[in-house]
Amino acid sequence: MEKPQSLNPIFSVSDFIAVVNQTLDFAYPNVEIEGEVSSFKVNQGKFVFFDLKDAGGSVGCFMMVFQLRVPIEDGMKVVVSAVPKLTQWGKFSLTVKAIRPSGEGSLKKSFELLRAKLDKEGLFAPERKRLLPRIPSHVAVISSTQAAGYADFIKILGDRWGGVKVDVAHVQVQGDSAPDQIIKAINYFNTQQDLPEVLVIIRGGGSADDLATFNDEPLVRAIAASRIPTLVGVGHEVDESLADMVADVRAATPSNAAQILVPDKHEIIRSVGAQLQSLIPRMMRTIESYEVDIRTKLNRALELAVAAVDNRSAQVESLKSILSQLDPRTVLARGYALLRGEAVVGNKVEIETNKAILRAEVLDVKNK
Amino acid sequence: MSKTSKTIQEKTTELTDLVAWFDSDEFSLEEALDKFKLAETLASDIEKDLLALKNDIQVVKQKFDSVD
Repeated sequence: MEKPQSLNPIFSVSDFIAVVNQTLDFAYPNVEIEGEVSSFKVNQGKFVFFDLKDAGGSVGCFMMVFQLRVPIEDGMKVVVSAVPKLTQWGKFSLTVKAIRPSGEGSLKKSFELLRAKLDKEGLFAPERKRLLPRIPSHVAVISSTQAAGYADFIKILGDRWGGVKVDVAHVQVQGDSAPDQIIKAINYFNTQQDLPEVLVIIRGGGSADDLATFNDEPLVRAIAASRIPTLVGVGHEVDESLADMVADVRAATPSNAAQILVPDKHEIIRSVGAQLQSLIPRMMRTIESYEVDIRTKLNRALELAVAAVDNRSAQVESLKSILSQLDPRTVLARGYALLRGEAVVGNKVEIETNKAILRAEVLDVKNK
Repeated sequence: MSKTSKTIQEKTTELTDLVAWFDSDEFSLEEALDKFKLAETLASDIEKDLLALKNDIQVVKQKFDSVD
C-alpha cells in the first residue's frame, strides 16, 4: 500500500526562506521599533550590527554605515525604521533603513557625541565663520513654507527692508526625510549660476525630537560645506542645534534671522534725518563765529575812528590855544599897546590899547 | 545689490560724504547752503526709496522630496 502524499507543499530551504521573506515583506513592508541598543559594532568600516532589546526580548539588526546619520552607542534608546528579514542562514534580523535616538537622554547623548566629533574636526572653529553681506540683494531660504517660523521670517524681512530677491526652497523640517530634503536644497542653491549671497535655513520651535533633524550629521556637514555663507535660525532662543553651531551666523529664532539678515529701513530713515539735523548746528556755529568776528572787527574799527577823532580834536584844541596866544587882542588885554605909524619926531602915530585908539605926535626918539 | 538698492546705497554714500564735508576743513559758509539743500533732497529720496521697495519672494519649482 502506498504511503499517502502530504497536502502541504514541500519547499527547498532556499525557497522556504524566500517565501518567508515574501510574507514578511507583504505583512511588514516597513516597521518602526523602539528599543535599547546593545552589542553595537561596525565591521570593515561598512557594516553595522547591533541588537535591539527590551525587558522581554532582543532582535538582531543590520545596516550600512552610510545610513548611520547620528552617533549610536550601547545603552541608547532608539527607534529604527526597518524591514524584517530571514537571512540565508535562517537567522531572523532587521535590515535597518534609518535609526534615530529616542527620548531626551538618548537625544542628548547623541548630540554630545556628534558635537565632540565635529568639534575635533574643527567644524565649529570661529575662523571658519564668514561674514554676511551688510545688505544682501539675493538670498536663498530653506524652510517649510507652511511653518509659522517661515511666515514670521518673511513678515519681519518685509517690515525691515525691501528690494531683496528671495528664492525659497520648500522642504520638510521634521521627520526622517527632512535632513535629506534640506541637504538637496542646500546643494541646489550651491549649484545655481546666479549664486545667492546668503543661505538662510529656518524652522520654528518644536520638541527635541522635532528639532533632531538639525543634529543630523550629513546635514551639519552640508551646511559646513556650503559655498554660500549660511545663516541658521532653528527653534526658540534656548534651543541649540549642531546646524546652528556650524553655520556662519546663528540666529536665535527665524524672526531673529530676518533681523540679522537685513538692516531696519526705519532706523536708517531716522539715522538719515539725524545726520541732516546734525548739519544745522555746524552751520549755526560757523555763522555765530562769523558774527563774533565781524562784531569784533566793527568794534575795533569804531575804536580806531573814535581815537582818530579824539586825536584830531586835541590837535585842533592845541592849535586853537596857540592861535589864541598869537591874537593881538590878547596882548592888548595884558596892557600892551599897538603903535601904528613911523617913529620919526613930528610924525603923527596911532596908539591902540585894549580899550581905546589914540592919536599922538612923536616928540622925541631915542635909540636903545 | 539690486538696481534700486544700489541707488539707495549711492545716495547714502553721497549723503555721508556731504555730512563729512560739513565737518572738514573744506567747509565754507558760502557753499554750505547749497550742500545742505542737496543733503535734504538726498535724505528725502532715500526715505521714499526705502519705503517703496518690496521684496521679490519666489518659491523655487524644484522638488526636494524625491528619493534618489
